[in-house]
Amino acid sequence: MTSSSSPARKMLSKIACNRLQKELAEWQASPPGGFNYKVSDNLQRWIIEVSGAEGTLYAGEKYQLQVDFPEHYPMEAPQVIFMNPAPMHPHIYSNGHICLDILYDSWSPAMTVSSVCISILSMLSSSPAKERPADNDRYVRNCRNGRSPKETRWWFHDDKV
Amino acid sequence: MRAFLPRTLALLCSQRPGRLELPLARMKVKILQWHAVASWTWDAQDETCGICRMAFDGCCPDCKFPGDDCPLIWGACNHAFHLHCILKWVNSQTSTPLCPMCRREWQFKG
Repeated sequence: MTSSSSPARKMLSKIACNRLQKELAEWQASPPGGFNYKVSDNLQRWIIEVSGAEGTLYAGEKYQLQVDFPEHYPMEAPQVIFMNPAPMHPHIYSNGHICLDILYDSWSPAMTVSSVCISILSMLSSSPAKERPADNDRYVRNCRNGRSPKETRWWFHDDKV
Repeated sequence: MRAFLPRTLALLCSQRPGRLELPLARMKVKILQWHAVASWTWDAQDETCGICRMAFDGCCPDCKFPGDDCPLIWGACNHAFHLHCILKWVNSQTSTPLCPMCRREWQFKG
């Protein structure tokens, strides 16, 4: 018997497919600085390499983001996580989950992969210290079995970092 | 919708009816019949819908024909979207829907 850690994903709707093709074309024409899209034939999962900005704690470091799109994107937010190893940051858990409001409650369909990437880089760049969130161990333990961060009820308490 | 008259037609219309004065050769032209062609465009500030990213002068991804079949709608905040796109967003929200562009409470412009 096989089991999969990620929930079964539904095919992209026509609107989602259309929009993602446009976003990809725009990305390829003018990619956001510091990001590199890893070419694949899977429109529903994008792997994006992030380079830490110069002059910040993450300068010279590279990380990978995994972006999964739901059937009804952009009415629903994409699921965005850092692949292992995730950067050490007060809002990034060791399992790659990111505590950032626009990925959950504050998502808007006017946002794009590109604008989300820029927000994540800005969050990294403003970090005062390379450390894990205070509740990292408890949260990561609760997320075993590959639970999606979109199922977490997030609490956004810090708008400085 | 706003119709634009093509340049040549606008020029013809600016003359007195039935007579077109040409500067060099003096001759009389009598227009017996004319066939007007107009183009239309939505009078929105943006060119594309912020939700589906398709052109306003086109239609949303679910429609085939632009215009009355796939109209634009404005919010009280003056942001425009394809009606079909904003309805999908508003109907997908469990709490008060917000404008995707400015996050103000979404209300259809009366």
